Amino acid sequence: MTRFTGVSLIVSFAVLAAGCARTDTAQPSMAGNSTTPAGQAPVPSVPPPGSPPPAPAASAAPDGQPGSNAQGAATLQFQTQIKEYLRIHNEAETKVPNLKRTNDPQEIADREALLAKAIQTLRANAKIGDIFAPEYQPYFIKIVQDDFATRPARDRRALIDELPKNMKVDVNTVYPTTIALATFPAALLRKLPDLPPELEYRLVARSLILRDVKANLIVDILRDVVPTIPS
Amino acid sequence: MVGVRMMSHSLKRFVPVILMLAVATVVAAAVTEQRQIPQMSAAPNTRPPVGKDSVKFLVLGDTGTGDTAQFQVAAQVWKSRQVFPYEFAIMLGDNIYGSERPQDFAQKFERPYKALLDANIPFYAAIGNHDDPNQRYYKPFGMNGNRFYSYQKKDTQFFVLDSNYMDKDQQAWLEKELRESNAKWKIAYFHHPLYSSGGAHGSEIDLRMIIEPLFIKYGVNVVFAGHEHFYERLKPQKGIHYFTSGGAAKLRSGDIMKTPLTAKGFDTEQSYMLVEIDGDVLRFQTISRRGNVVDSGEITLASRPETKS
Repeated sequence: MTRFTGVSLIVSFAVLAAGCARTDTAQPSMAGNSTTPAGQAPVPSVPPPGSPPPAPAASAAPDGQPGSNAQGAATLQFQTQIKEYLRIHNEAETKVPNLKRTNDPQEIADREALLAKAIQTLRANAKIGDIFAPEYQPYFIKIVQDDFATRPARDRRALIDELPKNMKVDVNTVYPTTIALATFPAALLRKLPDLPPELEYRLVARSLILRDVKANLIVDILRDVVPTIPS
Repeated sequence: MVGVRMMSHSLKRFVPVILMLAVATVVAAAVTEQRQIPQMSAAPNTRPPVGKDSVKFLVLGDTGTGDTAQFQVAAQVWKSRQVFPYEFAIMLGDNIYGSERPQDFAQKFERPYKALLDANIPFYAAIGNHDDPNQRYYKPFGMNGNRFYSYQKKDTQFFVLDSNYMDKDQQAWLEKELRESNAKWKIAYFHHPLYSSGGAHGSEIDLRMIIEPLFIKYGVNVVFAGHEHFYERLKPQKGIHYFTSGGAAKLRSGDIMKTPLTAKGFDTEQSYMLVEIDGDVLRFQTISRRGNVVDSGEITLASRPETKS
């Protein structure tokens, strides 16, 4: 358990570090305050409801301009939140039996439920936007919407058709095991910031969710990200 | 007696007519069947393996319904083993549909395949979109706690992917495994087909763009996928042989669309595959729920398949 947690932490931080490096250099930037210190929330720049997401600053401002730094700060902030979530996840892992390979599916189900319960308790006050914080929501929205916009109509429709519909998603609740996890578009996954193995992105109806893989728990939600299909 | 003789005589007059009618009926039935069951050819039951020291395995896709069809296919799968003694089974995902309570594992996996499990036939599963990734901890699925993994049987290496979530870690792992593999045969399998004529889903183009270059670069020979609830053998794509076999319990009847991709399609009945790798030759046969061989053929290393059905 301890060894697993240690390895897991190393892997997670390596992945996060790689994510930072990648997103700082390769991702589009957002306009904002370049002087925001790392780890401190930059000035929120949330668009009013219904307004289109802002254009990425990278296309408007060359690297080194204020937009890029604001983007970097936002990404760093996101990854700080991910790190904080991992701390909670790892603490919860210490409170439940180790997950081993087993012939008994009951053991897997019990362990998953216990881990979920432990995380739910540790995050009792969790709310939407704790991790997908408002200051970088436009960034995520833009990535997803740009990705869908570049797909052929048939592909876009197939992706949207596969997403679970009429499913109520809430932060800190278990993802219903009776509902299929829709395939996450591989090309889109490449454009989003990296996550440690404990977490994954998923699309549910029009929302982008963060899901804890081992606990099958919905960690955060970004609503109205997936475009609708014009009728 | 006279009456009998007279009847025989009058019957004789109708023999040519009866024969003609019979032939016409058979031809009409065959034509109708061809129309209803595209590209299916009824053939004898499971054929035995050819090689003595070959790698023999079973291919099952989209199994976990727990319904009558799954049990019927499973019974046929066991019958096939009496002729074709496969040593292990690969599962192409959607191993457990719906809820995943312990009783679901029993009804949707352990009971249907009890004979195989009792015979200690190992299963090596891939994760489908209906599967909780924590199935990797379920020992009978042979995943050893991993969402993606590889294993080797004699001169064949299998690369099992989680096509639901192709992140960078998995891509890096796949490239490393393929690069380091010295196996004669490289076989990849996962849930979503890179090429498909399915009307409901179709080809998984996103995934294809990312992993097919690796398959080409490192010489993957054959790819198996499920997701589509039918059987389709694709025409070789960029030198790789693709099979979709996602109808071992679920069936999406009539879902194979007419596309230039299909070499052989079967979507009117559930099916599974039996595969033998014998030196430079891979032999496959696809068996229907009723036990008919609906497709078969050989793939020789670096060649196109020669079909026999």
